[in-house]
Amino acid sequence: MSGEGLRSIVRQLPSEVMVRIDRHEIEGRDLRLVIRPDGLVPLAGHLRKELGARLVTLHATDDRALEGCFKLHLVMAPQGMDALVSATAPLGLGEWRYESLTPTINDADWYEREIQDMFGLVAIGHPDPRPLVLHEDWPEGKYPLRKDFLTGERPPRVKGEYHFTKVEGEGVYEIPVGPVHAGVIEPGHFRFSVAGEPIINLEVRLGYVHRGVEKLSESTPYPKGVHLAERISGDNSVAHSTAYCQAVEALASCQVPERAEHIRVVMLELERLYNLFGDIAGIALDTALSVAAACGYLLREKAMNLNECLTGSRLLRSVNVLGGVRKDLTPNDREKVLATMVKLKLEFDDLVTLMLSSPSMMDRVETTGRLTREMAVDLNVVGPAARASGVDRDVRRDHPYAAYGNLNFLVPTQSGGDVAARMRVKMDEVRESFSLIDQALDGMPAGPVRAKLGSVPQGHAACSLVESPRGEIVHWIMAGRGAPARHKVRDASFCNWLAMEQAVLGNIVPDFPLINKSFNLSYAGNDL
Amino acid sequence: MILELVQFLLILAIAPLVTGVIRKAKALMQSRRGPSVLQPYRDLGKLLSKGSVVSNDASWLFTITPYVCIAAVTVAALLVPVMYAGTFGFLGDLIVLIYLLAMMRFFMALAALDTGSAFGGMGSSREMYISSIVEPTMLLSIFAMALVAGTTSLASISQNIASSGLDLVSPALFLAAAAFFIATLAENARLPFDNPSTHLELTMIHEAMLLEYSGKQLALMEMASMTKLVIFLAILSNVFFPWGIATGAEPLAVLVGALLFLAKITLLALVIAMIESSISKMRLFRLPNLLTVAFMLALLAVVSYYILGVA
Repeated sequence: MSGEGLRSIVRQLPSEVMVRIDRHEIEGRDLRLVIRPDGLVPLAGHLRKELGARLVTLHATDDRALEGCFKLHLVMAPQGMDALVSATAPLGLGEWRYESLTPTINDADWYEREIQDMFGLVAIGHPDPRPLVLHEDWPEGKYPLRKDFLTGERPPRVKGEYHFTKVEGEGVYEIPVGPVHAGVIEPGHFRFSVAGEPIINLEVRLGYVHRGVEKLSESTPYPKGVHLAERISGDNSVAHSTAYCQAVEALASCQVPERAEHIRVVMLELERLYNLFGDIAGIALDTALSVAAACGYLLREKAMNLNECLTGSRLLRSVNVLGGVRKDLTPNDREKVLATMVKLKLEFDDLVTLMLSSPSMMDRVETTGRLTREMAVDLNVVGPAARASGVDRDVRRDHPYAAYGNLNFLVPTQSGGDVAARMRVKMDEVRESFSLIDQALDGMPAGPVRAKLGSVPQGHAACSLVESPRGEIVHWIMAGRGAPARHKVRDASFCNWLAMEQAVLGNIVPDFPLINKSFNLSYAGNDL
Repeated sequence: MILELVQFLLILAIAPLVTGVIRKAKALMQSRRGPSVLQPYRDLGKLLSKGSVVSNDASWLFTITPYVCIAAVTVAALLVPVMYAGTFGFLGDLIVLIYLLAMMRFFMALAALDTGSAFGGMGSSREMYISSIVEPTMLLSIFAMALVAGTTSLASISQNIASSGLDLVSPALFLAAAAFFIATLAENARLPFDNPSTHLELTMIHEAMLLEYSGKQLALMEMASMTKLVIFLAILSNVFFPWGIATGAEPLAVLVGALLFLAKITLLALVIAMIESSISKMRLFRLPNLLTVAFMLALLAVVSYYILGVA
C-alpha cells in the first residue's frame, strides 16, 4: 500500500525536480532518491507544500575517500503516510557550498548550522550562519565530523567572540542566565532581552555538553554502540538504544522476535512513565505547589524503583541489545509490574485531581507560554509539545515500530498550546502508557527474546524513528566496517528548543522557568 | 528594664527556630522527613565560620548593607512587646518601627543593584514594586489599632487592649489583623508572593537581592530576615491579639505571657506552613490584586472605627 503511495509521490514530482533526480528506488516504506544538489530546495519545497511533509533529518556525510565528495542527506516524512522520503545529494568534487533550504523550509535552520560546524559545508542564503554547536574557542578550519579529523584530537583553544542577537530600544536590557545554574540541571545559556518584565527576545545558546557522540560512534563497534546510544540523553536511554538497535537491525535485515518487541514496548513505556511523572511534578514545583510536587516525585521514585527491580538499573540501562533484549520478563516480573501499575494509577489520579482542582496553580499555567499551532508546524515541533499545540503526531502510531502496531492507544492532543495544555497532554499520556504496558504484557507471546544479528553489509543506510518521552528521535546510520561510517542522531530537543524561544515571547521573566519546565528539553541530547 | 532586655533577647534567640519550624512543618506536609527545626542555627553557624566573597565591582554600600540590615531589625526588635506589655518605648513608636524596616529594604535594594548583576536588579525592582503597596497597608492597619487604643506606642497598644478585656474587640481589630497578615506574607517573602524554597533565580524577589552575598555577610542578611519574620509575628500576636500578655512585672504573669507568646507564634508559623503547602505562587502582576485587598481591609478597619465608634 505504501509502495503505491510512494510511486504516486514520484509521479507527482514537478519537472524541475524530476530532471535533477539521477536514480530512485522504493523499498518497503522508504523512497530513496539520488538527486543533484540544486534539486534539494525544490524537492523539499514541493514535499512541504503538496504533501505537508516534515523534516526528519538533514545531515552530511564525508565520502571523499570513496567518491571524492561530500553528500547531503535529506529525510522527510509526508503527512499521514508511514513513509520516508530520503534524498541523497552528492556535492561536486571539491564543492563545499550548497543552496540553503532554510528560506524554503524553516525547520532546516539548525541542521544547516550544524552541518556548517561539523563539516564546513556552507549553506548559501542561510539567514543566520553563526556557529551552533562549536563555540568561539574552537579553531577555524577544524571540522570534527570530517574523516580527516581524528577521534581524540584536541585542537588548541583560540580566542573568539560570539555575537548574540541584539535588541535595541528604550528601556530594553539583557539578562544573561547560565550556563551554570542554581539548581542541579544541565548547562545552557539563556540570553533574554526584556523591557521591564516582559520578554522581547530569547536566545538559547547550547553546546556546553557536546561530547562528540556522532564521531565516537564511528569508532564504536555496533554491540558497544548500544551503550553509547543509551548515554546520549540519560533519561531517554531506552528510546535512544531502541532507535539505534532498530537501525542496525534494519541494516542487518534481522527480524527481532515478537516477545522482544513486546518487552521493548514495556520498557519504552516504563521510561515514558517516570519521565512524565517527573515533568508533571516539575511543573507543580515551579508554581510552588509543593505538596503536589512531592507526590509527583514520589511517583517517579516508585516507578524508578520498579525499573531497578526489573532490570537492575533505575534508568533502564542495558535493556536493549542488538537483535532483541538482554533479559526476559519472568512471570514474577510481570506480576510485579502489574501490581505496581495498579498502585501508581490510583496515586496518579489523586495527583491529577490535586493539581487540576487548585485554582492558584491553574491560574499560573493557563495562557502561559503559548505556542501556536502554526508555529509548531513551521518549526517541526515534536512530541508532547507539538500535541499540546494541536499537532496530532506520534511516531508510535504514524510509523509503528516494536510492537506498537498491534496495540490500541490514543494520541492525546490539546489545542491551547500553553503550559496547561502541555501539562494535560502529559497527564493523558501517562494514562495511555499504563494501558500500553497492560496490553503489551497481556499480548506477549512466548518465545526467544533475542535473535542473532548476522553481518551488517557496508554502504547501506537505515533510518529509525522512535517516540521518546520528549518526542520523535531519529537515528540514521550508514554502515561501515563493523561500526557506523556515519551515525546521525537527532534528539527531540533539537527540534523543540527553537519552539521554546518562540513560546516565551511576551511572557514575563518569572514565568520563564515554568515554561521551560513544561517543555523539559534535554541539553545533552541536543548537544550530542 | 530587665524584662525588656529578656524579651528583646528572646526575639533574637528564637528567630531561626521559627524559620526551622515552618520548614519542618512544610516538609512533613510533603511527606518528607525534613531537617531538624534547629537546622537554621547550624546553617547560620556554618555561614558565620566562612569568609565572604565580594565582587570587584561592589562598592562600600554592598559591604555595609548587612550591618545596616541587622542593626535595623535589632532596633526594631527593641520596640516589640513579647511577653510583657512594655518595651524600651521611649526609643520610638510604631512609625519608627515601620521606617526601620523600610530602611532595611532600601539598603537591601541598593546593595543588590550595586554589584551590577542582572538578578540583583530584577530583585530590587520587584521588591520595590511590591513594597509600594505593602508599606501603606502595614501603616494603615497598625494605625487602625493605634486609633482603637489611643496611642502609637506598640507596648501601650498592647497594654491597653490586654487590660481592657473584651471591651475593645471590634470589627476594626479583625479587619486590621487580616490586612496585616497579608502584609506579613508579602514583607517576609512568603507564598503566594515569593517562594522561599526555590532555586530559580528568575522567579525570585527577596532571594534575588541576596544572591551576591556569601559567608558572614550572608549570615547577617539571613539573620535579619528571620528576625524580621518573628517581629511581624510578634506584632500580630501581641498588638492585635495581646490577651494573656503580662501587664505587670509579676513573675507568674510574665511566665504565662512567655508561654502564650510561644504558642501564638508556633500557631502562626503553622498557618504560614499550611498556606505555603496549599497554594501556588501568584503571577507577579497579579500580586497587586491581593495587596490591594489587604489595603482595602486596612482602610475599612480605620473607617469602621469612625463609623462604629469604639468606647
